[in-house]
Amino acid sequence: MDPELKIENLPQITLRPLGVADVDDFMVWAMDARVARFCTWEPYTSREDGLNYIQNTVVPHPWFKAICLNGRPIGAISVTENSGGDACRGELGYVLASEYWGKGITTTAVKMAVKAVFEERGEKLERVEALVDVDNVGSQRVLEKAGFCREGLLRRYVVLKGRTRDMVMFSLLSTDVGIL
Amino acid sequence: MDPEMKNSNFSEIITLRPLEVSDVDDLMVWASDERVARFCPWEPNTKREQGLDFIINRAIPHPWLRAICLNGKPIGSILVTKNSGNDACRGEIGYNLAWEHWGKGIATKAVKMAVKAVFEEWGTELERVEGLVDVENVGSQRVLEKAGFYREGLLRRYVVFKGRSRDMVLFSILCSDVENCSL
Repeated sequence: MDPELKIENLPQITLRPLGVADVDDFMVWAMDARVARFCTWEPYTSREDGLNYIQNTVVPHPWFKAICLNGRPIGAISVTENSGGDACRGELGYVLASEYWGKGITTTAVKMAVKAVFEERGEKLERVEALVDVDNVGSQRVLEKAGFCREGLLRRYVVLKGRTRDMVMFSLLSTDVGIL
Repeated sequence: MDPEMKNSNFSEIITLRPLEVSDVDDLMVWASDERVARFCPWEPNTKREQGLDFIINRAIPHPWLRAICLNGKPIGSILVTKNSGNDACRGEIGYNLAWEHWGKGIATKAVKMAVKAVFEEWGTELERVEGLVDVENVGSQRVLEKAGFYREGLLRRYVVFKGRSRDMVLFSILCSDVENCSL
């Protein structure tokens, strides 16, 4: 079982696995167009879609946690796991219910997640990276505050909701983590 | 069938065409060379069967892989990966050239030809061709710069090959960077 992860600066924020019992909390952010804006998915409209997502994507995922405030899920954070020559890097993603934006919660969750995956995967993982839409300034600030390095602007990198987007590449190395 | 592409500015003609099984001995010239393999994920080939295996199982089925030919003879290879879904707007370029032919602008020429070809053949879906080059592979960084690619940044500890993680320089060229872009 995954232990709950805590950190000093925001003691009420914890990370734990997200399960089907959390679907109603999940739907709060999943239905929010402000949250979905820079995500590949459209806002959810049915609880059943939420259940399917949790069952088929979240539960089998190598590393996917609920961001909890006083034990209640208000968002989610994940790190991919690659194989072969790509195993040295994992990609970070996160969402937070818009009611809780601007309080440093996501930054805290990112710091906790990065610390956890570097510890859990050992020497195999050297790099956690994140790709952020060039217009998503809030998320760029989260990563900067969490100690990530801005490596560059990747032009016309990916298609999001029918439009090709420029994405900013950020990374944090296991050797950077001493700063946190 | 892909037409051969020619450039009349070269006194020696560089063309791109699909690799065939009959090219295996030419392929082995560069595939067995550790100078060529140095920044590649693979070890130099030692047996002809490895070359045949590559041609039959990787090169021929590949969405876009061509022999780089000098006066009709393969002296290297170049490929562009094809992605699907939300990643279909980008392809990744990779190339090898026999050591004997380094330093003459041939790889730059082949890259320019390949970029032009994929932007034409793949239509409006492809907007970006990118290249990832080991930070120590200065020669290949120069090839992409001369071919008109932009250096976007250094991706630290990005990939592991031959037992250690590498810093890779990311380059890209957009359809809109290339003359006569159809977009």
